[in-house]
Amino acid sequence: MTRLLERPLVHFALAAITVLVLPLVLRSGTLASEILIYGLAAAACNLLLGYTGLLSFGQGIFFGLGSYAGGLLLLRAGWPAPLMLPAVALVGAATATAVGWLSIRRQGVYFVMLTLAFSQLFYFLAYTFSDLTGGDNGLLNVPRPRLGGRALSDPWSYYAYVAVLFLALFAVLQRVALSTFGRTLLAIRDNEARASAIGFPVRAFKVAAFAISGAVTALAGALHAMLIGVAPLSNIEYHTSETLLIMTIIGGGANLFASVLGAAFYLVAGDLLSAIWPRWLLLLGALLIAIALFMQRGLWGLVERAAALVTRAPAEGAVPEESRP
Amino acid sequence: MTYLFQILNGIGLGMLYFLLAVGLSVIFGLLQFVNFAHGAFYMLGAYLAYEMVERGVSFWLALPLACLVVGALAALTEAVLLRRVYKQAHTFHILATVGLALVVQEIVIIVWGPIGGNVAPPEGLSGVVILGDFVYPEYRLFVIAFTAVLAGGLWWLLEGTRLGAIVRAGSESAEDMALLGYDTRRINTAVFGLGAGLAGLAGALAAPIRGVEPFMSVEALSIAFVVVVIGGMGSYAGALAAGLAVGIAQSLMATLWPEGARLMIYLGMAGIIVMMPRGLFGRA
Repeated sequence: MTRLLERPLVHFALAAITVLVLPLVLRSGTLASEILIYGLAAAACNLLLGYTGLLSFGQGIFFGLGSYAGGLLLLRAGWPAPLMLPAVALVGAATATAVGWLSIRRQGVYFVMLTLAFSQLFYFLAYTFSDLTGGDNGLLNVPRPRLGGRALSDPWSYYAYVAVLFLALFAVLQRVALSTFGRTLLAIRDNEARASAIGFPVRAFKVAAFAISGAVTALAGALHAMLIGVAPLSNIEYHTSETLLIMTIIGGGANLFASVLGAAFYLVAGDLLSAIWPRWLLLLGALLIAIALFMQRGLWGLVERAAALVTRAPAEGAVPEESRP
Repeated sequence: MTYLFQILNGIGLGMLYFLLAVGLSVIFGLLQFVNFAHGAFYMLGAYLAYEMVERGVSFWLALPLACLVVGALAALTEAVLLRRVYKQAHTFHILATVGLALVVQEIVIIVWGPIGGNVAPPEGLSGVVILGDFVYPEYRLFVIAFTAVLAGGLWWLLEGTRLGAIVRAGSESAEDMALLGYDTRRINTAVFGLGAGLAGLAGALAAPIRGVEPFMSVEALSIAFVVVVIGGMGSYAGALAAGLAVGIAQSLMATLWPEGARLMIYLGMAGIIVMMPRGLFGRA
């Protein structure tokens, strides 16, 4: 059981099961789509945090930029979604290359502070150039993609569209993480001096990790803009960067599915709690402190612990938990 | 003449940025701990001043009280909570303090509501100074003078006193200090309280100029980061120079291109990082 949880194929299977189960357990197709979209962005964040050891407070830059670029290409340039999405990925990769290249000039906490400062820079860019971005109101009337001549206006049909892209991109991220490139990122995370001494161009690898993460995050941002019909200013705000990072850390570890789990937990808990108490973020803050103190391996750590317990218990043959919040 | 006006404004603003950043910097120097709740302490200081002034307390009493209360609360949080995270990786320092900042922000919204407020300048300083055809608000002149005195006092505290020597030695090697018999835990708590108290004081001082609102903490935190990135962490002179540079640049830009003033701070920072990756005074 514990061994099984380390296999990449199992992680992909878990992602696929999540896609299938969300429509059964959630009433809102919008919430389900949001889980996949943020799950994707959190997994991309984890490529930097869990695999490369880079805590980026700038993921909102790429998410928000993806929303704006996607919205502008659909609205102003009139591009169809299948053409827009690769372009958005390019925009995300290019921006992430620039931000990454500048940020990794400093290390450790300076790096973290730089990424946060850059997220402010892009926020004020979006705020200042409001003829392009719509400023405070956001970029309005972003259309849903069309399939077979009809727009996917129904929440669940758009969910299916998102789900296909989610699984494809999840597989891509997994391929990246498992490749020699991905393993080198782990080596950089564990001992940067050694990786550099062996002869790896550490900086180039970090920038490449940024580019991939930025591309996927921007795609998630574009999907989000099409979901809610707006590219809002809040998508490029500090708050989005923070949320993506929190989802990733709640999920735990160098493990892409854990990030999806973290995103699902955050969004479902937020959905339930905000209905009861609008100030639920207070509880979230307390939870973050608790995770920092007692549960550093996040939700995935809990799953592993549960699995270890089950393995030690007399074999029952039944699959006990499918690790869902 | 408008330039002189804006430079004065910039000096006032820059000194507030300095106060904000120097606390962050001293905490990091001693504890190797990045405090993402630093902006929240700044906000708390501003709100405490706001509350006391609303209740008719004199601003002159509210100012030191806000500083002391924020410092004491922060020291308490450090002693009860944050010191347990020190052993862990930076990620969890950041996670814990981001969590703390969220808790503070939500408490502020619960207590004072989601809409901000304004704080009147203290009686006696609500007027303007007229020098020829030059008109300047008295309160802003006071801020400049007060923070200058404070900066001097702080410099003396860190460079001229025994406490300062202990803090600086602790920044070099906390283990050696423990071996010499110093109670590093108490020193840590005191320094954390001092740094946060300075942030609270900066917030209270800024309140009559900028008002209060529950999301001011993020802006304050990122400005403090910019100052520290430019000036170099753990450097008093760096925080002072970078704080002033950022403040003056922001004020001058406010006349040239008002919408882009804050954008320019971050663009300037990016430029400095490209040219001088270590910042102006950085060692790390």
